[in-house]
Formats: sequence, C-alpha cells, structure tokens
Amino acid sequence: MGSRLGGTGVEEPVDRVYVGNINVTARRARELLLGKLKLGDVIDWATTFSLWPVHLLTSCCGAEFAATWSPRFDAEQYGALPWVAPRQTNLIIIEGTVTRKMACALRITYEQMPHPKFVIAMGACALDGGLFYNSYNIVRPWEVVPVDIYIPGCPPPPEAVARAIIELRRKIREKKLASRWLVEGWRHDREPVKPVDDVCKWWRP
Amino acid sequence: MNLEEVVELIRGALGDLAKEITVRKGYVEVVVNPGDVVTAATKLKELGFDHVKSVTAVDYPKESRIRVTYHVSSYLRDDLARVIVGLSVDLSRENPVMDSLVGVWRSSEFQEREVYEFFGVVFKGHPDLRPLLLIPELAEKRVLRKDFIVREESIYEGVPHRYQ
Repeated sequence: MGSRLGGTGVEEPVDRVYVGNINVTARRARELLLGKLKLGDVIDWATTFSLWPVHLLTSCCGAEFAATWSPRFDAEQYGALPWVAPRQTNLIIIEGTVTRKMACALRITYEQMPHPKFVIAMGACALDGGLFYNSYNIVRPWEVVPVDIYIPGCPPPPEAVARAIIELRRKIREKKLASRWLVEGWRHDREPVKPVDDVCKWWRP
Repeated sequence: MNLEEVVELIRGALGDLAKEITVRKGYVEVVVNPGDVVTAATKLKELGFDHVKSVTAVDYPKESRIRVTYHVSSYLRDDLARVIVGLSVDLSRENPVMDSLVGVWRSSEFQEREVYEFFGVVFKGHPDLRPLLLIPELAEKRVLRKDFIVREESIYEGVPHRYQ
C-alpha cells in the first residue's frame, strides 16, 4: 500500500488521482497529455477546465449566478471563474432578460471574445421572453448570439447553472468544438448567427 | 403638524395658482395650469418640498388629455416629510408641451426624460431631452399611451409566425 501523502518516497498507486496529491496528479497528467492523446484532444480537455464566464448581468438571474460561485455551491470546482473583461473570457452566461439596448452590449461583448467562445442562456426570459413575452422592448438572445445551452427556470437554481457548465463541458469534449474551431476557423456544427434586428445600428448606411 | 395644517400651508402658499386641491390619506394632489407650473413649483420648493420622488403621466384618451404629475416631498423638514404632494398639469393629447422643472428640482431630469420617451410629452427648457431607456425608434411610438397595443395571448401557442 502506498502512502496517500506525496513526496514521501513511497511508490504511489498510478490508477487513481487524489485531489491534492500533486505528485500523482502531475505524473498522471504528463502521461495523459504527452503519451496518448492528440493535440486537439488536449485543447478540448484544457478548454473544458477553463470556461470563464463574463459577468454580463442583464437581469435578476444575476443573483442566482452569484450564488453559484458562492462557497455553498462552488462552481469554481469545475474550472469556471467569473471574470469582468470580455477579452479574457470564453463564455457568456446571459443572465435573464435582454432589452433592445442591452442586445447591442451583448453582441459587442460576444464579438470581443476570442475563439473558441460559447454562450449559455439562463432563465425563462432568455429562452423565449418569459414574463415579458409580449413586451415591445426585449429581444430573444438566440436572435443575437448563437446559444449552446439553455437553462429553464425563473430564475434557475444554482445547481442548474452548475449543471449547464457540466453539460457544456461534455458537449465540447464529445463534439470537439474547441479544437475544430481553432483548426478550421469556424464552428463546424452550426451556422453563424446574424442578428435579426439591427441591434447596434451598424447596418445604417 | 398634521395633514390639514399642511394643506392649509400649501393653499396659502399657492393662492390662486391651485385650480384644485384633493386630499387623500397622506397625499395632496394639486392641479395647476400649464403656464403656472414653474411658479407653483418654485413656491412649493420655498415652502420646504426639496426633492422630486417621481415624475409620471396618465393618459386619458377619451378626454383627450395627458396628466403629468410630479410627486414631491421633503427631506429636511420632518413635518412635511410625512406627506407627498402631487403637482399635476393637464396637457392636450395632440400637442403635449410643458415647461421643464429641472431648473427648480434637479432630480427630475431623468424622470422627465422617461415621460418624454414613453408618452411623448415635450419639456421646454430641459437640458438634455433624449430617450433614456428605449431606442429612438421605439420612443417615437409613445409606447405607454393607451392606443399602443401590445400582443396578448392567454395560452402559449407555440412559436410565433415571425420566427418560423
């Protein structure tokens, strides 16, 4: 039996990884990265553990978003860290209702982010209007940006947000979204979304 | 100072400017002519009502008028802080133009912009009269007037036609 503590000189079991055992984790990761996998798989694997959502707070779902990263639910264990600057992030979580003025900000934020980038729509308002289904001042987020994961609920609980991040990780690993996006230059599994309305007055001659 | 004394104070300060004074529980509604609104607001401010809580408007399409109401109250005087005074103006629905009260109460600036974009009421003398929350195309439709119809449905019918 090997010791669970690293650095003791005793041979450790290689078939399992204990969180916090830095020697075993490093050896395991070296074998995983350099021994067996192709570089694209490594990129997908690395992207799944570095999903940084930009904090684009449009509505009351931001309270649940904040609770997701609180110590009780701790979504940072999935490698996701909320960040303020869109140019250093690769994930948007649309937190609720998107008004017509905010749609412009959403599109600008999406354009600023580097590839590969992903979008999660959170809450009933981001799905199909929700409470404001007949309002004159909202847009559907899927008319503005390509949405990968939808989270229903009004508002969704923090567990649902964490679940959406896990689903996005599974989707990236299975469809090889990140590596193929970097190699081919575009998303191979879907068409790019052009906004239905002229949200930012960019089309005006 | 109870409510009746506050009403008497306002009545004495405004004099003939007040066309109509209605008293409800903790609320005094004062209706003035559109030409007298700056004078009445100045007198109310000298009396001690030092800030605007909200600026709102009500659309009466059958009577063809829009009533703009400034809810004012006081921070500095405790006896006046217990009442809210509504300073109201009746405007015509076709051409709603009134004088801005930004020069009297600075806190009414953004709220007058909201009334402008939702009801189309033009405030003369406003320093920056632009739409605040809406895009300009929506602000031209005067979306909170009664003749602006929003689509309603009682049961969700699936994907609307314009998205199919």
